[in-house]
Amino acid sequence: MSTSPSSRRPVRARGWLDRYSAGPEGGDLYTDAPRWVGERWCAVASELARLGENDAAALQEATSRNAADLGLTFRVTGDEEERAWPVNAMPLVIGADEWAKLERGLVQRADMLEKLAADIYGEQKLVKDGHLPAAVIAGNPFFVRRMIGHPPACGRFLQVYSAELARGPRGQWRILQDRVRLASGIGYTLENRLALSRTTGDLLAASHVRRTAGFFGAMREGMAAACGRERPRVALLTPGRFNQTYAEQAHLARYLGLPLVEGRDLSVLDNRLYVGTIAGPKRVDGIWRWINTDLLDPLAFDARSQIGVANLFEAWTSGGVGMANAPGSEVLESAALAAFMPRLCRLLMDEEPLLPSIATWWCGQASEGATVARRFDDLALLPAFGQPVEGLAGRDPVAGASLTEEERALFAEALRRRPMDYCGQEIVQLSTAPAIIDGEIVPRPFTLRAFVARRADGGWTVMPGGFARLSSSRDLPTTMMGAGDLSADVWVVDEKAAEQHQRTTLQGSPPISRGGGILASQAADNLYWFGRYNQRAELVLRVIRSLLGNSMEGESGPTGGGAVAASLVGLLEYWGAADAGSVGKKLEDVCAQALLSSNLPGSVATLLKRRMDVGMSLRERFARDFWRIVSRPMPPVTVSRPQAMLESARWLGEHFSALSGLVAENMVRSSAWRFLKIGERIERAQAICRMTHDLSAFTGESEDVASGVLLDLCDSQIVYRTRYLTAPMPDPVRDLVLLDPDNPRALAFQIADIATHLQALPSVRDDNVPEAPLRSARALQGELQAALVEDMTRARLRTLEGRLFALSDAISQRYFLQFDREGAERRTRLL
Amino acid sequence: MRYAVSHKTTLSYAAPVRLAQFNVRLRPAAWPGQSVSDYSLSVDPRPAAISEGEGSYHVNEARFGLQEPIDRLVIESRFKVEREDAPFFFAEAKGPTLVELREKAMALPDLSALGPASYSFASPIAVPEHEIAVWAAEHLVEGMAVMDAGRTLMEAIHTEFSFDSRATATDTPPIEAFRNRHGVCQDFTHVMIIAARARGIPAAYVSGYLRTIPPAGKARLVGADAMHAWVNLWCGEELGWVGFDPTNNKLADADHIFIGMGRDYSDVAPLDGTFRGSSEQTMHFAVDVAPLD
Repeated sequence: MSTSPSSRRPVRARGWLDRYSAGPEGGDLYTDAPRWVGERWCAVASELARLGENDAAALQEATSRNAADLGLTFRVTGDEEERAWPVNAMPLVIGADEWAKLERGLVQRADMLEKLAADIYGEQKLVKDGHLPAAVIAGNPFFVRRMIGHPPACGRFLQVYSAELARGPRGQWRILQDRVRLASGIGYTLENRLALSRTTGDLLAASHVRRTAGFFGAMREGMAAACGRERPRVALLTPGRFNQTYAEQAHLARYLGLPLVEGRDLSVLDNRLYVGTIAGPKRVDGIWRWINTDLLDPLAFDARSQIGVANLFEAWTSGGVGMANAPGSEVLESAALAAFMPRLCRLLMDEEPLLPSIATWWCGQASEGATVARRFDDLALLPAFGQPVEGLAGRDPVAGASLTEEERALFAEALRRRPMDYCGQEIVQLSTAPAIIDGEIVPRPFTLRAFVARRADGGWTVMPGGFARLSSSRDLPTTMMGAGDLSADVWVVDEKAAEQHQRTTLQGSPPISRGGGILASQAADNLYWFGRYNQRAELVLRVIRSLLGNSMEGESGPTGGGAVAASLVGLLEYWGAADAGSVGKKLEDVCAQALLSSNLPGSVATLLKRRMDVGMSLRERFARDFWRIVSRPMPPVTVSRPQAMLESARWLGEHFSALSGLVAENMVRSSAWRFLKIGERIERAQAICRMTHDLSAFTGESEDVASGVLLDLCDSQIVYRTRYLTAPMPDPVRDLVLLDPDNPRALAFQIADIATHLQALPSVRDDNVPEAPLRSARALQGELQAALVEDMTRARLRTLEGRLFALSDAISQRYFLQFDREGAERRTRLL
Repeated sequence: MRYAVSHKTTLSYAAPVRLAQFNVRLRPAAWPGQSVSDYSLSVDPRPAAISEGEGSYHVNEARFGLQEPIDRLVIESRFKVEREDAPFFFAEAKGPTLVELREKAMALPDLSALGPASYSFASPIAVPEHEIAVWAAEHLVEGMAVMDAGRTLMEAIHTEFSFDSRATATDTPPIEAFRNRHGVCQDFTHVMIIAARARGIPAAYVSGYLRTIPPAGKARLVGADAMHAWVNLWCGEELGWVGFDPTNNKLADADHIFIGMGRDYSDVAPLDGTFRGSSEQTMHFAVDVAPLD
């Protein structure tokens, strides 16, 4: 959808915004804007109109498609499946002047929160002097007593801060919520920007929109600087792929070039943190944590944590590893604390707040509690510490006036018993902004999440942009993306182009580096299994296709076909792709099961699901095109007609071809690629042994049929036909699929390739003696090089298959956290 | 009363486990009316180092790790303790009403591990439960004095719940024990904590021991052959923390030896930790609290 400059007509009409009318009461980002910003809105709208050929719905569709192409998804709490990311085609446009005020307010707030954390975990002067009730700290489930007296080695608690902002009716901005625990939304700003820039071509540049890339670079440098080592390794610590914001974490890690690690990848030794990699443990100097403090370290905090790292807290206190943000900084987030912000700002900063919090009353104080009771109908009620409480349905603010008589009575009783659990809050009238909804431009209430991070020099930098959420109703958006909510990109615009070219803080070009960085053992393990599941699924599919082709030939097929088909069904049983006792059943039914049954551990559907499961934790490593194909749902398969089923199977076959094409052409030849390939090769090698073994059990006419099927399964018909003029005969076929080192579908080729990959992997030995997996692979390779086709008896094939299992074990032993992985899963709480 | 306490824990694993690391919370923390001497902790196989420190709340915590794989571990803690009886005026004390108490607890500028604020809110195991709050409401009224409230809850649990050492496990959620009206001292303590906090009373979990051999003519106390647990309620600045033992329906006294106090079991668990390996763990322990007088 990009446009050449010459095709752009000068903007004359106000276009879509001519018909725009904002609601009367709440203020609107467009209608309130100063003249030049309003003109910018119009320019944006009319260019969007032009791009969408005046069809807003089409434009929205293009934007959504671009978001989907980026692989953007999210989960609503409780969702099993990820959802498509809803980004609006209309950005929020904010002028430089309005933004500058926001920036100053955010920096002041970040500075104040830093001082507050230092007091809470230091002298506690604010509590002792009576400025802050002890319960406002102690009531926060994220208050970490253990932190008291442990100032961060880098001197700072906060590295990244974000604020949920609301714009009120007269254009005044206020902080709805301080966020230091998770910077969620920060990754989506990248993606929203990318989706919009794909849709709108050079509109961003033409509108003098500030770029956000500099912010991310500065943030990364800031995290590195806090580690106190030259060229430190900073990793993003994720709770794992089931986390609500995992997709965002993976995108961020990829964008920032940070290794994405889980607790089980990490271990602490002598107060230093290491990540287990295929080349042995590697030091990690800092982590950007996306897990809560209480789960960070099962020895220091919650012993039940399965996702933390033992002794991580000690390593942090001793300065052995940096952490953004410091453990326990979540204590800054409560509504109860927000009630004290204006006073704390004066105390800590000796300044008036530039960006006030939304007015909040903590009921733990008698007079404030009385205020809330008196102004019940004007206020919103919410839990003081973000936890579910009696009398309120969830964690989000509820308007007092919206409660029924009965709910009111229940709430009053709950408030009387535990006033300290509740806050009252002024109800915010949100400003609206233009959004494209159902093909119309309409006003939608919005909130904006802004992000602030420390630069390398320790000062704060504010992302020029942010993450906006458009509410589907007049209600305040909840903390997470709600089911009907939309997101929008935020464009901070300068009046003149010149101002836009503010240099980023990136200091010149980075040192040149090649290769894929470190490869965590866990990731290597997942890549290996990705390769295996992928290959196995393809093999099962090949058998299905062979059976279906066979079944359609029916009685008129070659004699002996029945016995060979039975053998293939036996193979499916062996692979767990058919129930035991399937031999003799109708082939169509067996094939339908092998394709689709979710109860069978080896069906194509199950294998693809497993591939997806391990793939999820690899997604930051895969190119977007690759991931798009992997995450595509299984196509509907018509099982009523064999012909239709065969067509679906063919379609699936193309899916595998597309993937292997992308791997071959697009994947960097890193260790990651090697593990993927080793997985595929091992799987295929084992299958060749098994298939050849099973299809060598025939005599007479069946023998020739079996040889033909084997050629088919090994995809080697063409080579065979060009090489031999006869119909498939056992020995030539077996030589071609077992021993021919030049046939990429032959056993010998698989093993030679495995040996090549193993040799190229990093070694942990200093003596240059090959490691165990390589030695086994080479032994197998040598044996096959020396063998003749008549040596390849069925017994020999069974032995070879067994040795391949052993090779797979040797690879897991050496490269994966096999012991630890098992341990991590069962790491149990004692007592 | 003076006692000699010994507590021996034996852990065995079906197959060796690696990198086992433990927190042991068995050394008594300072407590009024109690003085401890000759504390020793021995671990076999012996770790390279045992670091003695403080836990997050009012509890001592020793940490050690074993680099070599183990399939068996013996931890033994011994000490002598002199324990005074509870102050005589506790028996008649009332303390402030619940309304007054809440205000005092919220106003006290004390964020320490002995301050009431830290024990007024939900904690990892003692999470608010509506059913327990409703049950507590049947027993308590707002004008009640806190000591009476404590006695009432303690007695209610003692009467309505049956002691059954096989009914619950260490990780049974309190609400389950509550619904079935059975369990052990840990369950009763958690239920009472949740009930008290539902009315805004600061309530803490105490881990400790009971004397094993009863004085002549008295019945043996329940829970004497293992670690024991009871509830500390904060009863205002004058009375401070007062121990209520719902298992035995009595205030903590010279029979109760204090080890540590936290928001719930998770803060004072005698033993927790991590290891790597896939082995099943079995645990045996022997507790002996012998009177020395």
